[in-house]
Parts: sequence; structure tokens; C-alpha cells
Amino acid sequence: MITMLQRITCVDHIKIDSVSFSSIFQIGDSEQIQAVSRALAVQREAEIFFDNEGNFDAFTVFSEAIPFQAADDENVTFSTHNLNPVLKVRNIDILGASSSSVVHLGNSRNIAMEARVKHIRQLLPRNNNSGVEGI
Amino acid sequence: MNFQVYNRDICVGDIRVIGVSSSSLLMVGDAETIQLAATFDTPAESLIVGPFVPLSPDIS
Repeated sequence: MITMLQRITCVDHIKIDSVSFSSIFQIGDSEQIQAVSRALAVQREAEIFFDNEGNFDAFTVFSEAIPFQAADDENVTFSTHNLNPVLKVRNIDILGASSSSVVHLGNSRNIAMEARVKHIRQLLPRNNNSGVEGI
Repeated sequence: MNFQVYNRDICVGDIRVIGVSSSSLLMVGDAETIQLAATFDTPAESLIVGPFVPLSPDIS
């Protein structure tokens, strides 16, 4: 698809305030991108956290397979005609890129991005004698 | 199936984004394949009310 007549990306101005936690700001073409981000998001009523806490293996969200249909599974003949070979953007303004995300100016071939997040909320014990059930 | 794309003029003025996060992708360009996968788990069991117990420690 992007073998012979590739399109050129033309960005006049780009401003990114922060690129953090294994994120990438890529200017120029790439061949393959594979990004994985895993997060245990723990909210606690009491502000207690330990430095050795959290084991990804203890939660299935981090190990279960995410099935994909193979890209060449369907019989589709695909052709692109780049009548205007320039992708023009005047200005890009991004506050932050985080957690294995990618900001990419240019072409690529195969991209696979994966994110797995487990949310846990821990609340202090409370007296439910008032008859108010649940939170 | 025959799928044909004619890319004519693309001229964008401003792109303003607050955040690109959790294996997200913001791309100005072409790609052959893009696969995106996300799992997000907030089951009932994840709401723990009771005496404070730390999560299982990181043994790796």
C-alpha cells in the first residue's frame, strides 16, 4: 500500500507539553510499532500505599488473550491512489502523551497497541447501622 | 472485495488534544495495519470495603 508513492506528512508547528511513561514522539516513518501498557489503578480512602504492592499475575485482565482477526483473513484487494501526496497540518497542540502512547508524524506499516487496566477501590469499614446500604 | 481509496487534498488547520494515553495513538500519516486492544476491569469485587489489606506483593 505505501510502497511506491508514499504520502509526505507536513506539520508546520507541533507542541507537546509532556511525553511520559514509555510514550514516544516519532517524527519520520517507521516500520513496526508495538506498545503495551499495564496499570493497576488503586484508589484508597485511607492514604496508605506500600512500595512492593501489586502483582500483575494475580489478575486475569493482564494475562487473558485478546483475540484478533488476522489482517489477511479477508479476501480484499486494496489499492490507494495518492492524488495529493502531502498531508498538511498547520498546528498540533498536545498537553500530554502517557502510558505507552505514540504521537507519530509520518508513515508506518504495522501498528499494534495494547492497554490493560485494573481498577481497585478500597474503602474504610463503616457502620451501616443507619440503614443506608451500599455506597 | 475490491477496495479503492483516492487520497485527495487533506489540509488540517489546528489539532488540539488534551491527552494521548494508555497505548493510544495519534498519527498524521499512513499505515498498513493498526491493531488496538484494551481491557479495562472494574468488577464488583474490586470495590473492597473493610479492614485495610495491601494488594498481593510484587514477587517478580
